[in-house]
Amino acid sequence: MNHLKLLLTRPLQKVSISAAVIVLIVALVGFADSTYLTVEHYRGVIPPCTVVAGCEQVLTSAYATILGVPVALGGAVFYLLVALGAFAYIEGRHERLFRYGLALTVIGFIFTLWFLYVQAFLLKAFCQYCLVSAVTSTLLFVMAVYIFKRYRATL
Amino acid sequence: MNIKRIIFWLGFIIILALIVWGVVVAMNKEIVPPVQSDGSPAPISATDSVRGPEGAPVTLIEYSDFQCPACAAYYPIVERLLAEASSTVRFVYRHYPLPQHRIAEPAAQAAEAAGRQGKFWDMSGLIFVNQLSWQDLSPIQAKSVFKGYAERLGLNVANFEKDYEDSAIKAKISADYRDGQTIGVNATPTFFVNGKAITNPPNYESFKVIIDAAAAESLD
Repeated sequence: MNHLKLLLTRPLQKVSISAAVIVLIVALVGFADSTYLTVEHYRGVIPPCTVVAGCEQVLTSAYATILGVPVALGGAVFYLLVALGAFAYIEGRHERLFRYGLALTVIGFIFTLWFLYVQAFLLKAFCQYCLVSAVTSTLLFVMAVYIFKRYRATL
Repeated sequence: MNIKRIIFWLGFIIILALIVWGVVVAMNKEIVPPVQSDGSPAPISATDSVRGPEGAPVTLIEYSDFQCPACAAYYPIVERLLAEASSTVRFVYRHYPLPQHRIAEPAAQAAEAAGRQGKFWDMSGLIFVNQLSWQDLSPIQAKSVFKGYAERLGLNVANFEKDYEDSAIKAKISADYRDGQTIGVNATPTFFVNGKAITNPPNYESFKVIIDAAAAESLD
């Protein structure tokens, strides 16, 4: 908890641009993936059941929406914000935007753990696109931890 | 803000827009026929469940899985089609129980067992309409639910239970599945109109257009 507070208040110093670029690229991949799922949700097409995996079971389940909003849309917004933060840093060294974006990855990671649990234990079905998102959000979380450890300003 | 920065940000926004656009384009391509081979389904046989007039200009064959939400969603569409184009369509239901659906095969057995007493369509209707209530059950629990449907339909329950386990019925289901595999069915539902796989139409109206066109073509 204390770490989370530090992360919101203490600035980062001279984060290497390549680290920010990695965050940007991973966030854009996640953005593409969750955009796909969001469009699929709103297009109203009934996803056929395929031999390979249980996408339709996951995407039509009660866990796919929260208060009527598809979680994929939440994912798309999350990745968009992280990408914006990383881009703002690369473009104009907006340290604060980047830091807030990285702080969001903690929440993203918690959601990822929940959705993995839902797929593995409650639905017993996996959806490839959801797993892609699990990978990207985990990578972002790992990058965030790395950046905070390495580049946090010492007081 | 200088020009260079504006261009930089514009570039970023364009990349985001391209991602969204690319995703939508890719999705529209994706819904072309799920069937990969040019194979045509086997001709109607004596073991098939068939509805509609023998000389109908359109034969509609569906490879379907009782536990698939999409198949259940197409159930009312197909029913309406058969009601409104009753003289032009001959409909064949074939089993394609996907391996990840534990109850798909038991449900197919129940439909076939009811079929022995002339109630295949009533049973499959009940199974589809109540999909949510049995999809999470174990095969044993599901069987007793299907037995309940048999009672509701006024079937001879003892015979229903015997036929449910009948090896000929199980063989018919796996024969359907194998046939589907050889012609490249890889998703359910897959519809064949006069032997050709179609892209799953998004709603009743577009399904009707496809059927009407096929009817007009074969009457020419």
